[in-house]
Amino acid sequence: MYGKEIEKELEARGINLWDSVRVTKGKEAYEGIVMPRTEAGDENVLVIKQNDGYNIGIEIKGAKIEKIAKAERAPEQRQQAKRPLQNLSKIALLYTGGTIGNKVDYKTGGVYALTKPDELLDEVPQLAGIANVDTKKISSVASEDMVSGNWAVMADEAAKALNGGSKGVVVTIGTDTMHYASAALSFMLEGLTGPVVLTGAQRSSDRGSSDGFLNLVCSAHLASKSDIAEVGICMHSTSSDDKCHFIRGTKVRKMHTSRRDAFRPVNSMAIAFVNSEGDITYNDRYRKTGSSGKVKANAKFDNAVALVKAYPGSDPGIIDYYCGKGYHGIIIEGTGLGHVPNLTEDKKKSWLPEITDAIDNGVVIGMTSQCLYGRVNSNVYRTLRMLGQAGVVYCEDMLPEVAYVKLGWLLGNYKPEKAKAMLNQNIAGEITERTLYDEFVD
Amino acid sequence: MASSKTGYKEKGFMCGLEIHQRLATSKKLFCSCTATLPNDSETNEITVKRYQKAVAGELGLVDRAAKFEEEKKREFIYKVNEGHACLVDLDEEPPHEMNAEALGIALSVASGMQMKVPGEIQPMRKQVVDGSNPSGFQRTTKIGMDGFIEVGKSRIAITSMFLEEESAGIETNSPGEIVYDTSRIGIPLIEIDTDPYITSPEEAKEVALKIGTILRLTGRVQRGIGSIRQDVNVSIKGGARVEIKGLQDLDSLDKYIENEVARQERLIAIKKELAGKGTDIGQPVDLTNMLKGTNARVIAKALGSGGVVFGFALKGFKGILGAEVNPDRRLGSEISDYAKMGGVNGIMHSDENLEGYGFSKGELDKVRKELKAGNNDAFVLISGKKSAAELAIKFAVDRAKAAVDVGVLPETRGAIGNEPFTTRFLRPLPGRSRMYPETDASPIRITGEMLGSAAANAPDMERTRARLIRELGSANLVDRLVLSPRFQLYNEVAAGAGQEKVFIANTLLQKFTELKRSGLSVDSISASRLAEVFNTYSSGKITKTGVEELLKSLSVADGSVATIVKEKGLERITGARLREIVEQAKGAHEKNKAAIITDVMSRHRLNVDGEELNSMLK
Repeated sequence: MYGKEIEKELEARGINLWDSVRVTKGKEAYEGIVMPRTEAGDENVLVIKQNDGYNIGIEIKGAKIEKIAKAERAPEQRQQAKRPLQNLSKIALLYTGGTIGNKVDYKTGGVYALTKPDELLDEVPQLAGIANVDTKKISSVASEDMVSGNWAVMADEAAKALNGGSKGVVVTIGTDTMHYASAALSFMLEGLTGPVVLTGAQRSSDRGSSDGFLNLVCSAHLASKSDIAEVGICMHSTSSDDKCHFIRGTKVRKMHTSRRDAFRPVNSMAIAFVNSEGDITYNDRYRKTGSSGKVKANAKFDNAVALVKAYPGSDPGIIDYYCGKGYHGIIIEGTGLGHVPNLTEDKKKSWLPEITDAIDNGVVIGMTSQCLYGRVNSNVYRTLRMLGQAGVVYCEDMLPEVAYVKLGWLLGNYKPEKAKAMLNQNIAGEITERTLYDEFVD
Repeated sequence: MASSKTGYKEKGFMCGLEIHQRLATSKKLFCSCTATLPNDSETNEITVKRYQKAVAGELGLVDRAAKFEEEKKREFIYKVNEGHACLVDLDEEPPHEMNAEALGIALSVASGMQMKVPGEIQPMRKQVVDGSNPSGFQRTTKIGMDGFIEVGKSRIAITSMFLEEESAGIETNSPGEIVYDTSRIGIPLIEIDTDPYITSPEEAKEVALKIGTILRLTGRVQRGIGSIRQDVNVSIKGGARVEIKGLQDLDSLDKYIENEVARQERLIAIKKELAGKGTDIGQPVDLTNMLKGTNARVIAKALGSGGVVFGFALKGFKGILGAEVNPDRRLGSEISDYAKMGGVNGIMHSDENLEGYGFSKGELDKVRKELKAGNNDAFVLISGKKSAAELAIKFAVDRAKAAVDVGVLPETRGAIGNEPFTTRFLRPLPGRSRMYPETDASPIRITGEMLGSAAANAPDMERTRARLIRELGSANLVDRLVLSPRFQLYNEVAAGAGQEKVFIANTLLQKFTELKRSGLSVDSISASRLAEVFNTYSSGKITKTGVEELLKSLSVADGSVATIVKEKGLERITGARLREIVEQAKGAHEKNKAAIITDVMSRHRLNVDGEELNSMLK
C-alpha cells in the first residue's frame, strides 16, 4: 500500500481507492481515479488513472488532494459459464494456485490469484462444451512455495475425484515446480482409473495472449477423453498455439524460464499430442485405464531429504551439514556420468569421505546427473566405482528432481533399507531400461 | 462529394491529431534487439502461430474493440527474423528495463512542447487484439501532458505524449488469418496528441507539419516510409468521433478529413430520411436451399464448397443502400466492411444490378418473397463458409440497424488507398477499459537531472534556425530546410562537412525533389552513403554534375561509391590533365573562349568543373 504520508492524507480527506480526485501541485493540476499502489514504485507517489486510461504517478510532497467523486466502479462483466451438456463426462478441476489463475496484483506489482476457481471457467467458456467440470480450490500457493504437504492434498483430492466418478482430473498449478508435483503425484497415486493432468500458464490469463487458455482446453480434452491412466503434464508443445503435449509426470522438466513450450520430455517422448478440437494423437506407450478398483493415495512423505549439486570447487561439507541436521536421504546432482570431486589436490574438497561417512550413518545417497539427458553409470571410471562401492545408489536415467521426490516418498513409506533398494527400481515410469536416440534435444 | 472548404465551425467540426513517430535509438524499447528495420534481402526463417482472446481490463470491462476482434476468431502468424526480434517480441520473455535513450528523447520532446511530466511514469498495457502484438497489448507510458505548440498565430494544445512500442507490420491479411512481420515490434515510438479543437482540415495539415518538424529537430527520429504516421479524429454535430488510422502522406491529410466530414453528413441525412419511413431490419434467413443451382457465380462458388447463403430484408431502404456517402462509397460499402470482418468477401445488395451477378429474375423474386421484402425495401445477401457467414450476417444486421438508430458510429477507419482519399471501417473505436498496468516493468521516477538534460536537448526552432543561418547564410534556405522531411538527413550528412554545406542543403531540397519526381527513389540512399558522396565531392574527386549522376546510380544500384564513380567514369578531370585538354581545344578553336568551353564541356560534361575551366581561360 502507499506510504504513511499518502495514507494519512487520503484518510484525512475521506478518500478511498477508486475515488475520483484532483491533485494540485503549484500551478499544475491532475485529475483521475485513485489506483492501488504497486510495490514496484515509490510509496510516496500517488498513482491515479486519468480519463484516457493511463496511470501516472504524482509525488505527493507539496500537493493538495481533493475528492471530486466517490468510487463508481464498473461492474465486472462476467460471462455466465454455459450449463454443461448432459452427455459430457465429468472431470475434476483442482485449482492450487499459480499464474494460470492470476490477475493483476496492485499490491506487489505482480499478479494475484483468482478467488474462485469458477472464474477460470468464465475465462475459458469452451470448457463447458468439453466436459462437465467440477472445480475445487484446494490451495492458493505459488509454485515456488509448494511443499510436500501440498502434493499430498493434491493426491488425496485427485483420488477422491476419481473414486467419485470423475473420468479424469485436471490440476492447475504454478509452472516453476510443476514437474516436482507431477513426480510426487506419480508416486503417490496408486491404481489410477483415469488421467491426472497437471497444467498451468507461462503468461497470466489477464492477457489475451495467455497460453493458459489452450493449455486448459487441451487438458480438459485429455482428462475427459483419453484412456491414459497416468499422471502427466499438459502444456504447449511449441511456441505456437496449435497443440499441447502430454508428458509423463516423472519424465518432464521445465527447461525454459519463460517460453510457452518450456516443458520438455527428458529421456522420453511425449505420451500424446492434443489440440483445441480435442484430437488426441498417441505418441508413446502408456498405462491404460481399465482397473476397476479404488484409486489409493499414499501421500506420506519424508521431508528430511535434500538435493545438492556438485560442481568444480564445491564443498562436500554440505553432506555433513545435512547429516548433522538429521536428514535421511540426499540426492546428488553430479557431473557427467555421475561424478563428484574426488581426487582433488586439496583433500578437503574430496566428497568421497563425507559420502562414505553419511552412508555409514544410514543416510541414503542417490546419484543423478546435472546433464539431465542420459544415464548415470558407475562403471566407466575408477572414481565412479569408488562411489558405487561406497554405497551410492546410481539412479539410472532418472531426473535429479524426480529422484529427490522419489526418495522423500520412499522414506516416507518404507524403511531406509527398502527405500534404498527401491530408489533405482522403476515405479512410475521414472526409470527406463532403454534410452532412445530420438529422446534428446533437437 | 467533397464538402465546401468553409463553414466548419457551423458544422460543429471537431478534429484532433495523433502523431506517431519512430525514434532512432540503437535498441528497442524493452529489449536489446536493434531498432533498425531489416533490409529487403533478409528473410524470416521462423513462424509462430497464435490466437488471442479479449480479457477484462483493469476496470473490469472487456473493451468493445477487443471483443470485436475476438469475435472474428482470427489466426495470427508471426514471421520472425532472428536478427531483429527476440523472445521479448514474441511474448515469450518478460520485458527488459525501459530503454533510457528512448526515454531521454521523449522527455526532450516533452520539454520542447512545454509539457507537464509526471513525477513517476507508469508503463501500461494497451490491449490490442488485432494481433499486431503477440502479447495482446502494446506497452505504452504517458510521458507528458498539457503542452502546446505555436502554429502560425494559433496556439495548439498538445494534450499528451506517450512513449510506446511499435507494433508488428502486416505482411498479408485474409479473413481467417493475418501474417505479421515481427521485426518492427518494440521499436520505440512517441505518440503526440493534440486537443480536438483544430478548426479546419487545412489547419490539421499545418499542425501535423509543425509537429513533424519539431520531432525532426531532435535529430533522433527515424526517417523513411512509415516512420511517421498520423491518426486523425474527426466528428461533426450529430455525427460521432471517427479515428482515421495510419495516414502516412501529409499532402492528402486534409482531403481525408474533408471526405470524413462529407461521409458523416451523408449518414446523418440518411438517418433522417429513413426516420420518416417506418423502417425495420428483418431477421437473417437461410437461403441456401433456395439458391441451390443458381448461376450467380459468387453464390454458386460458395455453395459448391459446402458454404451457405443468408439474407435479410431492410424495410424502406430501397435506393438507400446504393446512396453515395463518399466518392465511390455507398451505404452498402459500409455494411459490406462490417460483414467482411466476419470472414466473408463482402455482400450483395438489391441496390446493385444483381442480374449482372448472374441471378435470374425468378430467383430474385423468390428471394424477395422469402425475405418478405416489398418494392420499397432492400435486401442484403451474404455467402461463404457457414461459420464466417453467420458472423458476417450478424455484423451486417447490426450495421444496418445503426443506419436507422445511430447514423454515424464511433469507429476506427483506415485509408483505402490513394485517390479519392476515402476510408473503410476497421473496428469499433476502442474505449478506456483497454488499459491496465504493465506489471512486468517497473514505474520510473523522473528526476530533476533527467528533466534538466531534457530541457538542454529540447527541440528549439529558434536556436536551430540561428545555428543554421550561421552555417548556410541564407534565412530562406534555412526555413525551407527546417520544414523539409530531409532536415534530419541534412544534419547527418552535413555533420562532418565543411564548405559544401550549402551545396548539400540545396541538393537535398532541390535535386532530391527533382530526381524523386523523375521516379528515382533517392530517399532510399542511406545517410552514410550520402556523406560519402559529398566527401568525394569536397575532396575534389567528382564534380557537382558528377554528384547528380552518382545519386541517380545510387538510388538503383548497390556497390560502393568509389566503384560507381569508376564504373560510370565520373572521376573529375582537373589540374594538369584539364590544362592539356584545354590547350588542345585552344588550338582547334583559335582561342575563342566560348567555343573552347562548349567543346570541352560537350565531351567532359560530368568530369569538368565549370569554374575551374573558366579560371584556366582567364
